[in-house]
Amino acid sequence: MKSLVFVLSCLMLSFACSKEKTFDEREINLISPEKISGFDPINASDRYSGNETGKVYEGLFEFHPLKRPYELMPNLAESLPVVSSDGLTYIFKIRKGVLFHDSPAFKDGVGREMKASDIIYSIKRLADPKLNAKGWWLLDDRLVGLNEWRTKNSTTENTNYEEEIEGLKKIDEYTLQMRLKKPYPQFLYALAMPYTFIVAREAVEHFGKEFLNYPVGTGAFVLPKFEQSSMITYLRNTKFRDKFYPSEGEEGDDKLGLLADAGKKIPLIDKITVHVVVESQPKWLSFMKAKDDLLEVKDVNIQQTINSKKELKDEHKEKGIRLIMKPMLDVTYFAFNHEEPIFKNRKLRQAMNLAFDRATYNRLFHENTAFDAHGPVPPGLGGQTKEFKNPYIKYDLDQAKKLLAEAGYPGGKGLPTIVVQTRSDTISRQQIEFFEKCMEKIGINIDAGTNTWPELVNKVTKKQHQMYTMAWGADYPDAENFLGLLYCPNQAPGSNGANYCNPDFDAIYKQATIMQDSPERTTLYEKLNEMVALDAPWIFGFHRTDIYLAQAWLKNFKHMEFNHSQFQYLNVDLEVKKQLSKKF
Amino acid sequence: MKENSLWKDAFRRLTMDKWALGSLIIVLIYSSVALLAAMGIIAGDWAKEVGASNMAPNGDHWLGTDIFGRDVLSKVLRGTQIAMSVGLVTSLIAIPIGVVLGALAGYFGGWVDDLITWLYTTFSSIPNIMLLISITMILGKGIFAVYIALGATSWVTLCRLIRGEVMKHKEREYVQAAGAIGGGHFRKLFLHILPNVTHIVIINTSLQFQFAIKSEVILSYLGLGVQGEPSWGTMIDDAKLELSRGVWWQLAGATTAMFLVVLAFNLLGDALRDSLDPKLKGK
Amino acid sequence: MIKYIIRRLLYLIPVLLGVSFIIFVLFNLVSGDPTAVLLGKNASARQMAELREQLGLNKPLLDQYFDVVKSAFTFDFGYSWATKQEISHMILQGAYPSLCLSVPAFVIATILSLIISLVVSFYRGKGIDLFVRIMCIAGVSVSALAYILFFQYFFAYKLGWFEISGFEYGFPDFIPFVALPAIIFILLSLGPDVRFFRTVILDEIYQDYVRTARAKGLSEVVILLKHVLRNAMIPIITYVVIQIPSLILGALLLENFFSIPGLGGITLNALNSSDFPVIKAMAILSSVLYILLSLLTDVLYTFADPRVKLK
Repeated sequence: MKSLVFVLSCLMLSFACSKEKTFDEREINLISPEKISGFDPINASDRYSGNETGKVYEGLFEFHPLKRPYELMPNLAESLPVVSSDGLTYIFKIRKGVLFHDSPAFKDGVGREMKASDIIYSIKRLADPKLNAKGWWLLDDRLVGLNEWRTKNSTTENTNYEEEIEGLKKIDEYTLQMRLKKPYPQFLYALAMPYTFIVAREAVEHFGKEFLNYPVGTGAFVLPKFEQSSMITYLRNTKFRDKFYPSEGEEGDDKLGLLADAGKKIPLIDKITVHVVVESQPKWLSFMKAKDDLLEVKDVNIQQTINSKKELKDEHKEKGIRLIMKPMLDVTYFAFNHEEPIFKNRKLRQAMNLAFDRATYNRLFHENTAFDAHGPVPPGLGGQTKEFKNPYIKYDLDQAKKLLAEAGYPGGKGLPTIVVQTRSDTISRQQIEFFEKCMEKIGINIDAGTNTWPELVNKVTKKQHQMYTMAWGADYPDAENFLGLLYCPNQAPGSNGANYCNPDFDAIYKQATIMQDSPERTTLYEKLNEMVALDAPWIFGFHRTDIYLAQAWLKNFKHMEFNHSQFQYLNVDLEVKKQLSKKF
Repeated sequence: MKENSLWKDAFRRLTMDKWALGSLIIVLIYSSVALLAAMGIIAGDWAKEVGASNMAPNGDHWLGTDIFGRDVLSKVLRGTQIAMSVGLVTSLIAIPIGVVLGALAGYFGGWVDDLITWLYTTFSSIPNIMLLISITMILGKGIFAVYIALGATSWVTLCRLIRGEVMKHKEREYVQAAGAIGGGHFRKLFLHILPNVTHIVIINTSLQFQFAIKSEVILSYLGLGVQGEPSWGTMIDDAKLELSRGVWWQLAGATTAMFLVVLAFNLLGDALRDSLDPKLKGK
Repeated sequence: MIKYIIRRLLYLIPVLLGVSFIIFVLFNLVSGDPTAVLLGKNASARQMAELREQLGLNKPLLDQYFDVVKSAFTFDFGYSWATKQEISHMILQGAYPSLCLSVPAFVIATILSLIISLVVSFYRGKGIDLFVRIMCIAGVSVSALAYILFFQYFFAYKLGWFEISGFEYGFPDFIPFVALPAIIFILLSLGPDVRFFRTVILDEIYQDYVRTARAKGLSEVVILLKHVLRNAMIPIITYVVIQIPSLILGALLLENFFSIPGLGGITLNALNSSDFPVIKAMAILSSVLYILLSLLTDVLYTFADPRVKLK
């Protein structure tokens, strides 16, 4: 038996060794921690499918890869739009000379130029009732006539794309006019998200239901056919238009070498290979074997990455590995269901906030890299201020017990066991166990309900829960995206799964969301943030930190929250790779 | 009585085999630990924080502490109760169903066989994981759901084996002979054939025990395991996250505990078989 | 014989009815509304209602059940709700890596176990018998998860003998990727296989015909290979064949940890996203496979042991 295993191993070794590494291919290896199901922009709802879609497709706008705070720059649009004084009419100039990828869908197989009608088509497609896109919420009730068009077509056999919509007008081949129903200050952000990436009608019709496997975009990379596999290989788009690496960025970017390629034509690499790896151990090991160039470090591996001073460990420094740590635009929380009578009691909610030992939780589960959430809005967005301290998020058992008694439940007496719904993975199980122990200290009994993802979503949308745990990541850099989680009309099945309703809050929120970005709006956001923070609609958790490890030879990587467009700027230094690879 | 001496004889030979004896002792020890833990006599305070988080094994805590500073040894002992009860209850569910249905199908054939085969084919042709997940969804998670889910999916193997074996024995001379001298179906099946297939049940039970204990780990990995109680499955699942930071003691503790009892069940199953099998008597 | 086979094939009908019934009850009735999961975090009530209508979840239950039955008999599974991919295509794509891992591993494990059990039966009761048995049992007494975590770290990462994770299509490119999971698969199979095979072989060794053969002066090796093995074949075939359907999904854990894009992952994803059509397709396909294989088992019985009559 042993000899057989030995022979087998030898056989495999010979195969493994036959693939000797070469250092002449300008290739980058990345990891996707989730399976990719397809390449249809209108359904690219999570970060990882957005990342893949963004390598092939493009939108009218994109976030500047270097500048912070995030700044939009025109991409397929030639410039920022001209907006009418009432903020409702937008005129877009479309960039000339943008070509779709070559594809059998086009005449002679050669990609044609992208024009205004493609943008209209792509937006209509997002609204197509037959497709029921995950991204429809983005433009739901926004453009004049679009909802009516959707409703009208929901009963017909075929969706009528020929019909003109008042809010989406072609002025000429390179000029487009869009009209909004009411001010939508986040509109341009919406046009930078994967949902609104531009697709070609020929490709959609040629490939039909298989369209999601044959992405035909305008982006810097091409993928002729997508196979559901653990590896996706993109090749450089040889016909990519003249697009250049930016020559200015945030202060300090030049010192970090992020401007070394300023003014060069992108893409700078020939190939991107994305490996789909779900479990944390193989992800970590592959990166440490230099099979991958970039690693998003999750909870489990943080301790192996940094020391107690939050610096990169020496063993990694030796190999030239870089550490990139930046706060994320997200918030984690334990939501109360405000339709449960007991949680109408503000003092109870505040008491539970006070009894949650955030410091220990942060140490156990985030290696102290997360930041206490004082309210729903994360730092880095207008609406959150350093000065505001939520008095209920400190760990104070005496105060908690006092408030609990005032709430009418001295020592927890009279309170039923509260069931918190959470996900069933290992970390969630440990986290809820910790939460149980915290609440036990003030006499509140917690029971964990663990769920698969569909079960949890179902319970929340059907309001069949007392409490649940959640993490919310920003769709775009605007506090509205977070404050909306507590807006009454958004309650389940919407994003306000806590079913929190506060008329005062709602009134100001309604007013703020139709204002353009301005100091006045920021003041309103701040007011909203502080108002709900003190009312304790959730047990506030954390704003987490994004931690990345990058190999020394990976160039031009800068942390980016909305990173679907950043891959076209990456570069690789083969000389460095050749030298350092001996250390792995 | 003849039966009595058979078992006495078997027991005598069992105790002569020192591996079997050792295994028996291990199983007995685990059973008593499980019983004591169930009564709260040992490891009743497993949930108490006794030290810092993730302390390495030391004089006070032989297996160190877990992420919440709880004693890992207590958790291992407490986990024994879950493991043994999962093995026992699923066997108690699976064996009667499997034996009776398998024997009836194999013996009578015809429409009885068709009906029973239909039942177990339908059950066993749906992938186990789907049944496990959906049963735990329906029953809510927890130990009860684990019992039912494992029991409901594992009688099938035994049923099939018994059916195949009974089919074979039915054709053998001794059964034909029993029929010739006027033995009824019941008599033929339960007095003549079943004793000749007992070893299949016994082997299967010991396999069943260890299968159930191991399945609990897989269920825990899928997030369907036992809630609110330490089990070896959840401890090994925790290790998935801890191992990379050098915390090996939860994995080591739970794996060793599991290893010993699974090994003991297997060896005991073999030894029981050797001493009980009617054909092996006198060897 | 032919009649028997036809009868068994017709048998597919009641079994598929049973399977569709169980699957329908478990997933359509019990697991609730999938639309919230399918539409993502910003879904509106209106959009959910529209999707329910599109997916046919508002139809009467009997009609919905009939749809399940229809797809069970036509093998037309349509498109996945969650990934929007064509299901037959998904399954074909996933079957390849799954089979690349499980078929060689299963065949090697079975042959290896048979050889080992013949050897230990030959030396029954001696030291080597005990030693090999205990090694096999010890091998299977460790949790698969523990093996995976350790082997991946040690053999793939530290020693670099194998690929850490991933998969490449085509022979022989897939070998370095599936080798390590296959070895773990074999290690986990040896224990139960050897125990079972040894048991049935020993059963036969003490039969009268063996004594007769010995009396005739045949050598122990000939008796073992020619007579004993042939008679032990019935339980061995049963045991081996019933494992085959589980091969498709059985390597779920291995597939996940070694990033092999197989059917296990597809099924798990489907369960995690309420993707009812995919679950249905997997259940139906696996039950068809199961029935065909159990028919094969019965046919093989007659070859292995002419005393068994198929009626």
